[in-house]
Amino acid sequence: MNAIEVSGLSFGYNKKQLVLKNLEMRCEAGSINVILGLNGSGKTTLIKILAGLLKASTGEVVLNGKKLEDLSIGARSKIMSYVAQRSELIDDFTVKDYLLFGKVNHIAFYRSPREEDVKNVETYAEKFNVTRFLDKKLGELSGGERQIVSICASVIQNTEIIILDEPTSALDIKNQHSILSLLREISKHENKTILLSSHNPNHALYLDCNVFLMKDGSIIENGPAREMIAVEKLKPIYGDDVCLSSEQEYSEISFKD
Amino acid sequence: MFIICCMGWIAMDKLSHKLSQTQKAVIFASSGIVVFLFVFCTALIVGRYSISFENFFRMIGDPASYPMERSIVVNLRLPRTIIAALTGIALSLSGLLYQETFQNKLVSPDLLGVSSGSGVGAALAILLGLSSALISLFAFLFGIITVILTTVISKVFRNRTSMILILAGIIVGGCMSAILSFIKYLADAETTLASITFWLMGSFENSVMSDVWFLLPIVGTCTILTLIFSWRINIVALGREEAQTRGINYSVYRAAIIAVATLLTASSVAFAGTISWIGLVVPHIVRLLVGRNTRKTIPLCVIFGANFMVIADIISRCFTAAEIPLSAVTGFFGTIIFVAILFVRRKTISERD
Repeated sequence: MNAIEVSGLSFGYNKKQLVLKNLEMRCEAGSINVILGLNGSGKTTLIKILAGLLKASTGEVVLNGKKLEDLSIGARSKIMSYVAQRSELIDDFTVKDYLLFGKVNHIAFYRSPREEDVKNVETYAEKFNVTRFLDKKLGELSGGERQIVSICASVIQNTEIIILDEPTSALDIKNQHSILSLLREISKHENKTILLSSHNPNHALYLDCNVFLMKDGSIIENGPAREMIAVEKLKPIYGDDVCLSSEQEYSEISFKD
Repeated sequence: MFIICCMGWIAMDKLSHKLSQTQKAVIFASSGIVVFLFVFCTALIVGRYSISFENFFRMIGDPASYPMERSIVVNLRLPRTIIAALTGIALSLSGLLYQETFQNKLVSPDLLGVSSGSGVGAALAILLGLSSALISLFAFLFGIITVILTTVISKVFRNRTSMILILAGIIVGGCMSAILSFIKYLADAETTLASITFWLMGSFENSVMSDVWFLLPIVGTCTILTLIFSWRINIVALGREEAQTRGINYSVYRAAIIAVATLLTASSVAFAGTISWIGLVVPHIVRLLVGRNTRKTIPLCVIFGANFMVIADIISRCFTAAEIPLSAVTGFFGTIIFVAILFVRRKTISERD
């Protein structure tokens, strides 16, 4: 069964120029999916439409068999959670308070979190190895720690689909690696459908996942990473200088001088 | 005495570094309530006609034998103290609500033009020579109409960001100030202009029990509502994107919060005039003490706001022959307390506080 189905999706911030053009994509339930593309190819716009933050001009998005436009904000938040790029607005809250916000759609509107909710959050914090930050403010954390906390909050939200907008941007290589391996763990153990955007083809290789190559607002190719991350497939996006270095035991995409 | 209270709070804050934020909040809240009871009784006892402690308690036991004391306490001091407490709650709570919703800590309850609108309403009523009850009603209605105007103007721009709402508030607020200037220009310099100016500076001088019966239900309902939703208001403060992905209908919540904050401000301005600073200072103090989580800051704002205003009222009426305008008192003491707390906390304050 497909967790995410997009058909004939178009979107433009104004009428003259379309950012997304007649876009089609399908993500299998329980899989990891990466949208690869250059800056400005429409990755963030697509992710925001899937997360329900922007309204598509034409076309249809179906999440877990339910049309996105028919879902209320509350119902949507039980199917899909979204990890945004860095937001300054959360800086003042402590990690514990912030993680508790992930439970908001499981708590009746007149109620505040109870002891059992706090316990539950603490269990997750332990799983994600963030227990030592619980009383720190988010603004005091490093970029990598912060990203782990955001992902933890969306896992606490307990949805089948998790959508992440460039979770590894602005992180160093070591933290990029730890975020990607964390996502792989989540998909394996929690059985979630994960969709993330990235501009680094090597991430897709590492995740060994389903890849969507995006250019100028359309998906131009789609398939497993081992087939997609090849020089011929990537040339239309990254240009003729792209090359694959496989001298070591792993291969890596880089550029000729 | 009021400086002593603050020193006490600050000392406790220093001592309680090892306590968790929740324990701190509970301690601050309970001590705040105790201090409030003390401050409230003091407000009934002190004043230009001084009543000794002894006589005050005898009067409570046997009102008939102390008609003079009874009349002063029940008819003059009780209503104005209750109104001061309610106004303090209303202004600091609405200040906090606006600051959280607009994610800007420098926002005051006047953000969307409530106070300037109320000022125009009151000035108009004074110009027309209406009774004091009608002045309050005019101020209340004009305050609310102004905010409705602000939201209507922001809708015209077809942009749902908070920035547009703030800009619309500035536009409407500016327009209201212009109208106010015009009314002042029309007013008679000897009589009406003076009363308009005094009204705008804020005072509880003309408070009567019937004002309490109007103010209490509004402030009471709004306070209870915000206390019920106190935890969820946090999620609105995360901004539209984050709030919606967590499952909160941002637009509905924001509209409701603005409505509650507007009701609170308009009703308090209607009876006490425009009182500056409190809506800015109290939320700040509370946040510095217990951190940013509306589940803790909202109850504390209610308690501290009431304390702050009753104390300001005592100061405004006890130290000089004529009453000092409230805004002067709140502005002056607000600054001192603020500086004191910033001084104590200078090492732990970051860019974002």
